[in-house]
Formats: sequence, structure tokens, C-alpha cells
Amino acid sequence: MKIMKALSASLLVAGLVSGASTAALAFECKVKEASMAKPDGFPDRALTMIVPYGPGGGSGQVAAAMAQAVTELTGVNINRDHKPGGSGSVGTTAYMATPADGYNVLEHIDDASSAHALDSTKVNPAVDLIPLVISQVTFSQIYIRSNEDRFTDWPSFVAWVKAQGGKATIANVSAEGSMERVTMKFITDATGMEIQQISFDKGAPRYGALLGGQVDALFEQPGDVRKFLDAGNFKPILTVFNERPAAFADVPTHMEMGMTFEPLLRFRGFYVNANAPQDRVEWLKWAFQRAYCQDSYQKYNESKFMTVIDSYRDTEGAKKLINATVSQYRDVYKKMGLEVK
Amino acid sequence: MFDNFIAGTTALFGDPVSIAIFIFGVLGGMLFGAIPGVSMLTLAAILLPFTAGLEPAQGVMLFAVIYCTGTYGGAITAILFNIPGAPENAPTAFDGYPMTKKGMAGKAVGAAVLCSAIGGTASALLMMTATEPLAQWAISNIGPPEIFALVFFGLAVASSVGGNTIWKGWMSVLLGLMIATIGQDPVGGINRYNFGLSDLAAGIAFVPAILGFFAVSEIFVQAEKKAFGKYNAPKLSVDFPSFAELWAHKIAVVRSIIVGFFCGILPGIGATLAAFMGYGEAVRWSKEKEKFGTGKLEGVISSETANNAATGAAMIPLLALGLPGGALTAIMVAVFQFHDMEPGPLVFYNSPELIWVVFAAMFYANVSILFIGLIETKTIMQLLRIPFHYLAPMILMLASIGAYIGRGLVLDVVVMFGAGIVGFLLRRSGYSIAGIVLGIILGKIGEQNFAQGMQMVHYDLVTYMSRPICFILIVAGAITLATSIYKALSPSNNPQKQA
Repeated sequence: MKIMKALSASLLVAGLVSGASTAALAFECKVKEASMAKPDGFPDRALTMIVPYGPGGGSGQVAAAMAQAVTELTGVNINRDHKPGGSGSVGTTAYMATPADGYNVLEHIDDASSAHALDSTKVNPAVDLIPLVISQVTFSQIYIRSNEDRFTDWPSFVAWVKAQGGKATIANVSAEGSMERVTMKFITDATGMEIQQISFDKGAPRYGALLGGQVDALFEQPGDVRKFLDAGNFKPILTVFNERPAAFADVPTHMEMGMTFEPLLRFRGFYVNANAPQDRVEWLKWAFQRAYCQDSYQKYNESKFMTVIDSYRDTEGAKKLINATVSQYRDVYKKMGLEVK
Repeated sequence: MFDNFIAGTTALFGDPVSIAIFIFGVLGGMLFGAIPGVSMLTLAAILLPFTAGLEPAQGVMLFAVIYCTGTYGGAITAILFNIPGAPENAPTAFDGYPMTKKGMAGKAVGAAVLCSAIGGTASALLMMTATEPLAQWAISNIGPPEIFALVFFGLAVASSVGGNTIWKGWMSVLLGLMIATIGQDPVGGINRYNFGLSDLAAGIAFVPAILGFFAVSEIFVQAEKKAFGKYNAPKLSVDFPSFAELWAHKIAVVRSIIVGFFCGILPGIGATLAAFMGYGEAVRWSKEKEKFGTGKLEGVISSETANNAATGAAMIPLLALGLPGGALTAIMVAVFQFHDMEPGPLVFYNSPELIWVVFAAMFYANVSILFIGLIETKTIMQLLRIPFHYLAPMILMLASIGAYIGRGLVLDVVVMFGAGIVGFLLRRSGYSIAGIVLGIILGKIGEQNFAQGMQMVHYDLVTYMSRPICFILIVAGAITLATSIYKALSPSNNPQKQA
């Protein structure tokens, strides 16, 4: 029964991932209505967006880009309130304490789903919140330095790591139960290699560790290291995705390298409290989903490699992705021996 | 280099809009840096959306200027009211505020102005000289094991500051280290001591803790004195330090420039560690160690030189490698991205004019600290004329706002008042609030790098000590600890005086 459940969750995620990749060829705005009447004048003042991460990171940047796009579209200003800490839990708790009047929205990433998977008393992003839009969906890759001469591709990397007897290192964000740690477990189980994961919670030291040769490899998403790719500092040797995105046509996928697990995705989106008035929620859905189509937002997503697969999920699509992700994480956690509440 | 600098200067001052932005950045950084809690980071976050309408060089330059002057701005309130504007100004309060109480506020503020300008200018010059090779050297040679060794060394050196005895100094540091462990552990993300409160999962924030231990506890101390008729208002003094006094500390200035620059260049470390290390080194090399924490000019000089020396250095990994050293430089990445640019090696080739406008602006911003700082100081010192019964509520209100505004959490205000009460009681018993704050700040940095460092050396101490920088710093720290224990046990040892 457990295996069937895990399989069905994996198949669902596989379907979502596969659907994502085929839709990546050309951008088409899914929201046709260019405007929508404000329900009883809502909103008649600025919205507040709680961002559970700092202003300089990936979440802070996507929050700024989406806020700008919504303002361009609707003329409604959005004040961003950064409440970092606790892997997003501080900001989420603060958000749930704000009035459910539609004036407060939340930015969050897949950490909210994995946190709920581990502890069901925590906010369920698909039930306690209404996803307005998921605007970034991306995959992970393994990077090495471009001038690396000990290994040059995935097979030689695996062979080298195995020869080190557990002393090879990889930089990532490996908090307990995180997407990074779970994916690395998939990879090490599938390849039989033993590698020391070094957890860096901030990007700069993480990337500096690879640049300076403090670690042997890096686990990251392509948008976050684009400048190092463009500058020729980093080189991807493995894409953790079901098929090769066109932008990384030369990089093998984990499937091609004999690893059969379903990839976990990184996704960032925007939410409103599920108790907010329905008509206001509908307007917010329109505003955020249509803002995704704004030139400024698309340009931003393109600069972050967020257009190489389909980054867009409307409310229903987001719920499916979140539910499938929660289910997949839950199965994985149980297999890893973690206590799932 | 000189030609590039002249070109950058011409571009900066040849355009009225750029001049206006430069002046705004200088004044805004100083103002926001001086208000506790409402730091230069707040100003940067407010301004970020507006930079989209500026030229790329203007946008990046604005933030670089705010970084320089904002780092200095927090020193004023640290010295006058024991309220560090930001964590990097905390060591300035160790001796700056005792100087104010002794009627030497003018000397302390004057030294802070001058040394901030010197540290920042020297750092800007070093930055212009060798950004790329320095960045490469730093990331190739300094990793988490070395940063932990640096923190250990810093703790060993500065742990005795401010306590009645060396043992109380260490106990204070250990309390700070314990407080630093509250919240999720930096590697596994496991909650510790958060008692089910999700707000505590992020740990104790620096700013509320600093405001509580310094500002609030000081209000309580002075209120008690007032209640028992022992209160003496700080004497107003606008006597700046003489040239001879400053010249006597030339070695401390040079040492702090080196220490501050070295700390600033490390990605993710920045000015806070720089200030503590600069202060710690001053203590280590001084023949009058026991006088630190009681109002020693060298303490202010070392801290303020070092934190501003970190500003130019922090730009090095940002510009050369795209690695921001702290929160403000991380926001600067977003400024680049607003203009379809990424900081990193390609910026030097694609936009050299931008780089040199920024370099020139940082140089002149540090120089302007000297002139504007000295002018404003004469005015701001008049705040000391305000009677205590008006000043105390104002400080408590400002501190409460400062504690709350960082994350918008009521918990942070509670933490601030809790720290104030604990600080008040511990000070009465001869413990060191400087040591507690030192422990909190260096504890967080140290724990993370210790865990990462141990993973990197596979928990093998021999491998760890085979890294030359680790070996030197750990051995030097151990010798320092052993020496201080020997001195503490020595019959001739005299108890240190309380801050």
C-alpha cells in the first residue's frame, strides 16, 4: 500500500514535471482578461506582502519583481515586509496572525510544503492558504568549477568521489528534510557514492566555497548561479530533471545517468489566507496571475533561467503541485526514518 | 589606476544628478545609521525600488555611499547614549559610552569621525588597487575552518573585556554563546530552546539584544542612581582629540585597518566581525588591558577604524566574484539585477566605468565623513543637555521602535526589555555586558563555521590543524587563554574594574 501510494505520488509529480517541460517552448499568457473590476472597491489601499526571507535572496527578488508587475498592472502598491528566519516559519507564523481581509499576501517557496509534510500541524499551503500563483518552478543541478581537472563530467565525478572514500564534499543547503538533502540522498543511494554535504544557509559563502576550491561540487538551481555560468566559472555536470532543458542540452539528466527517482522541484509562489473574502481572492488571483504575463516579470524570470521549463501554475495547478509534493516528501521522510507528525 | 580614478571622479561630479544622489547617500546613510534599529539597511530596502529609474552606476553608487556613511553613523548614538546604531558599532560603545560618562564625549566622537574616515578611505584605496587578486586569494585560502579559528581567536582575546574579574568576563561570554544557540541550528535546521515558539526559531536577533544589554540596562542603572540621588549627568564636552592623542594611536589605526579589511573581504562576514576583531586586537596588544571597557580612547579608535575598513573590503568579493559580504551588499546585487547586470568578473570587462564611479564615490564618501561628521558632531552633542527624565523615555521609545522594526515582531521588543533587565542585574554583579554581546554575535558566526569546518575536515582534528591559518589562529588563541588564566591565578593579579 505504501509503495503504491509513493508510486502514485511520484507519477503525479512526474506528470506535473513532464507537463512543465513540454509547455516551455513558447510563452503564452493563460489569463486573457486584461482588466478586472475591483470588488466593492477592493483594494483601496496598498497591499502588504510578507516575505519570509531576506530582501537580497531568491525569494526577496521574486517578491520584488512580482510586486512591481502587480503595481504596473493594477496601480495598487505592494509593501514588502521581510520576516526572515526559521526556514520561512517566522514569516509564515506572522502572516497567519494578520487579518484575513485580502490586504495581506504571502510569498513562500516549497519549504512550506516540505515543512507541512514533516509536521501536519504546520500550515498547509494548499488548504490553509489559497495559492494565487506559482511563478517560479525550477530544477536543480550539480556544478563543478569550469577549470576543474580532477573530473570533467558526471561519470568521472562519481568515479572520483568513490575513490575518495567519503572525503569528497558538496556545498548545498541541507537542513533536515530539505529538498536539497532529500535529493542528495536519492543521488547517493542511486550511485552508491559517499559524499560529505556541507550546509551553507547563505548563497555567497556557498558559491564562494566552490569558486575557491573549499568544496568539490555544488548543488544549486541554475537561476541562482547564472552569473557564474555566464562568466564561465561553473559548469553543470548533472541536471536533476526528467529531460534535458534546451538551455542545458549538453548536460545529462539523472535519469540518463541511471537514477530513476522523481525529481523534487524548487517553486516560489504567492498566497492569500484561505479565510479571505471570496470576491477579493478572485481579484487577487487575477492580479497575480495576469502580472505573471507582464513584460517586466517575464524578463525577470528569463534572467533567472525560469523560462526553460514552465514556471506558471494557477491556483488549481499550484494546489496539485503542492499536494503531490507534500505526498512525495512524506513518503521520502518515512523511508529516511524521520518522524512524520 | 589613477587615470581610472580621475575618470570615475569626473563622471561622478560632472553630472548634477549623480552629485545629488551622492549627497543624499552620504546624509541618508549617516542619519539612518545613527538611529538604532532603523539602520542603513532600512534605508536601502526603502530605496531599492527607486533605483530602477536610475542609471546603473548611480544606483550602485548610492548604495555604496550609504554603506560607507551608515557604518559610521551608528557610532554617534553608541558613544553618546550607549545605543549602537548597528551590531558593527557595538564595540564602539564598550569604551565610547564610558568616555561620555567621564565628560569625554567630544574626544570619543571626534576619534570615531576621524578613524571611520581613515579606515574607510584606506579600505577604498586598497579596494581600488587590487580587487580581483584579493578576492581570489580570500576565497581560495579562507573557508569555514579558518573563519571559526578567527572567531575562536577573537573570543580568546576579547573575552575578559568589561568584567570585574577575568572569570566573570568569561562567564559573560559563555552566557552570550549560550544565547546564540537559541533557534535553528545552522546546519541541520533543528530547533533548539525555542519552547514551541516559531518566532524563536530564527534565534535571538542581534539588534534587540544589543539594544537591551546596552541601552535599556543603562537606563535602569541611571534610573536607580537617580532614585537614590547618585545620578551625575554626563558632562558636555566638544573637545576633539588632539593631534598628539591621535598620533599616539597610529599603530592601533593601522592594525585595525588590516584586521577590518581582512574580515570585510570574507564573503558573509563583513563589518560586525571586523569591529569586534579590531577591538580585540587592540586589547591584546595593549599594555593597559584592564582599562578597556572603562573609557579608553583606543577602544573607540580600533572599533571604528576596523568597521569602516570592512566597507571597501566587502565590495571586493561582491564586485570581483558576485559574492555579497553582508545584507547591504546582498541588496546591491538586486540593484545590479534591476539593470540586467550581475556583479562578478564580467562587470570589470563590461562596465569598467561603473566600477570606477563606485570606487570614486566610496572614496569621497569616506572623506566626507570627516567633514560632515565634524560639523554635525558639535550639534548632536547638544543632545546631552537634555535632562535624564526626558532623555530616558525618548531612548526607550527609540530603542523599542528599533527592536520592533527589524522583523516586525513583538517578541523582539520583549527580548530587548528582557535583555535590559538581565543586563542590569549582571552589571550589578560585575559581569560584562560587552562579553555577552560578544558571545551572541561571534557565537552565531562561530558555530556555523565550526559545523561547516568540521564537516569539511571530516571531523578530523589533525586535518583541521594541518591548515596553516587554522593552526596559527588556534594556537595563538590557546596561548592567549593560557596566559590570561595564568595571570588570573597569579597572586599579584588585581581585579579588573567594572565598566
